[in-house]
Amino acid sequence: MKTTVQISAAVLALGLMTQAAAAETNLTVMGYSGLFQERYTKAVLEPFMKAHPDIKVTFFPLPSAAAMLGNLRAQKAAPQVDVVMMDISVSKAGTDEGLFTKIDETNVPNSKDLYPAARVEGVAGVGVTFDNLVLLYNTDQVKEAPKSWMDMAEKTYDRKVVIPGVPDIQGLSLVLILNKANGGTDYLKDVSKGIDAMIKIAPNVQTWDPKPEVYAPIVTGQASIGAGWNARAQVNSITSNGKLKATIPAEGTVFQINAISLVANAPNAEAAKVFANYALSPEAQKSFTETMFYAPTNSKAQISDEALARTAVKFMDKAIPVDWIALAKVRDAIGEQWRRRVVPASR
Amino acid sequence: MTAIDLPVAGKRPMSPTAVVMLLLLPIAVINAIGFLWPVVNLLRMSFRDSEASGALLETSGLTTWINVLSDSFTLDLITGSIGVSLFITVLTLVCSYPIALYLHRCSGLWRTVLLVLVIAPLLTSAVVRTYGWIAILSDQGLIANALLALGITPPRLMFNLTGVIIGLTEILMPYMILALLSGFGRLDPRFEEAALTLGATPWKTFWRVVVPLTAPGMALGCLLCFVLAISSFVTPKLLGGGRVFLLATEIYDQAIVTLNWPMAAALSIIILVLFGFALALYTRALRRIA
Repeated sequence: MKTTVQISAAVLALGLMTQAAAAETNLTVMGYSGLFQERYTKAVLEPFMKAHPDIKVTFFPLPSAAAMLGNLRAQKAAPQVDVVMMDISVSKAGTDEGLFTKIDETNVPNSKDLYPAARVEGVAGVGVTFDNLVLLYNTDQVKEAPKSWMDMAEKTYDRKVVIPGVPDIQGLSLVLILNKANGGTDYLKDVSKGIDAMIKIAPNVQTWDPKPEVYAPIVTGQASIGAGWNARAQVNSITSNGKLKATIPAEGTVFQINAISLVANAPNAEAAKVFANYALSPEAQKSFTETMFYAPTNSKAQISDEALARTAVKFMDKAIPVDWIALAKVRDAIGEQWRRRVVPASR
Repeated sequence: MTAIDLPVAGKRPMSPTAVVMLLLLPIAVINAIGFLWPVVNLLRMSFRDSEASGALLETSGLTTWINVLSDSFTLDLITGSIGVSLFITVLTLVCSYPIALYLHRCSGLWRTVLLVLVIAPLLTSAVVRTYGWIAILSDQGLIANALLALGITPPRLMFNLTGVIIGLTEILMPYMILALLSGFGRLDPRFEEAALTLGATPWKTFWRVVVPLTAPGMALGCLLCFVLAISSFVTPKLLGGGRVFLLATEIYDQAIVTLNWPMAAALSIIILVLFGFALALYTRALRRIA
């Protein structure tokens, strides 16, 4: 009798253990820290775990795409991360180093519904969010929404302009927009028209390196006007009760893409595919867009009008196409012009 | 060191050299793992080839070093960083010397209180202190408002080189004061009294007696502050406003923003070489003082 009890207890324990083991697929997703982590957890990770009780997702936050790449490089022999979300140009570097498994319709079916812009040649991952450059302004100091990026050059904004300068891609994007607006044709060959326009704005610039991000000084009124990314601007606009607002000026905007990638030789490769498929699904895309206002990359996502108005989806015609992969080759040259011509004009 | 003489059961006592070696072993191992190995890795990284995307290739070559050494911007960075760091070092010395001298002459409770005040800033991180300076130096800050109240248009104190120099000088002052104090041991007040009774003016006493006796402390403080200034990154980043290009901030940009790790590694090696020069200069200066 005693033995039977022991055996059945052992069997029961074993059963529980296997069940526990099944529930313990510990998926690690690496992505941006701060606001992104907070909103992504709420909008995507929590609903995902509810729908997949057998997969537990841990978010591994890092402040920049470069830091993520550094981690992946260090773990190449024995990866600890299964899925990563980072800027597409950095994910290109990761692809070239063989850190990722290619995503296609066979392993991640929802990738078939993505907008063409979300798939970039030579990149293993696919776009999971679209963001775009916006003109930011403090509503106490700027009463009417500025119509042009060049409003930043107006005398009233002396020492009141904040722009994350080159090599940050926000400053780089602004150069590209102004280059096009001033008659520049191929930004891969020549951006001097954009640089010339930046020189007109430069004397008004308070800092090219706003910390912690460009939004805080505008919310507090330390600066009046500047350039930043739309999604964070929208969240800051809401949390500041409208102190900060964002607009897309007449010259247009540039899109930035965050890609989702499957880490090669990841410990939970199957669960990683399941998660990537969910992250690209219409419902996850809708949920995150309505929470953080990145434009969706899935064409089938049905976004509420209210959230849609805060994204650039309706202004696709204003977007200047940028090949971030090709741009990486000329970024140093643009950086040099920036240092030699734009920065001195701001002293 | 009685341990040396303790008889070990059945064995001869260890020779003093062996004991020294044994005692040095832990720190040697820590240094090898924590310093030498990373530096070797850094050196290797600086020779790695990379693509425009930032992807590291498996091959190695001289490309990065040729780019770094042939670019006039690198030269600007090196001379600029040395110049700014030297200026900050001198400014720190000038600001700290009187304080250190006063502290050296104090005694009792008062000295302890003042010493705690000098060391206290080291308890807060440089980041926090830099943010403090932002509050003071900004266009709506303490100084700007005070000047405006007096009817003076305030100069730009922040997001430029001025801000970096002010911030770093204050941040480095505790190190300088402590280094000066440690080197003031030879300064006996009786020497000064002797000079004064022999008819030297206070000014002459200061230059001929006090300064030479405190020179070792000054040399140590300057070395320390120069090395800290040229490698500091947080303060130039926060107070420079993207207008100040220094080696340390450029290393950050290359590593974190443009993703050119070989370039960042090469610039780091250059800073290390500059440290070596500073150390050599210090040793020569010490010998001359002695």
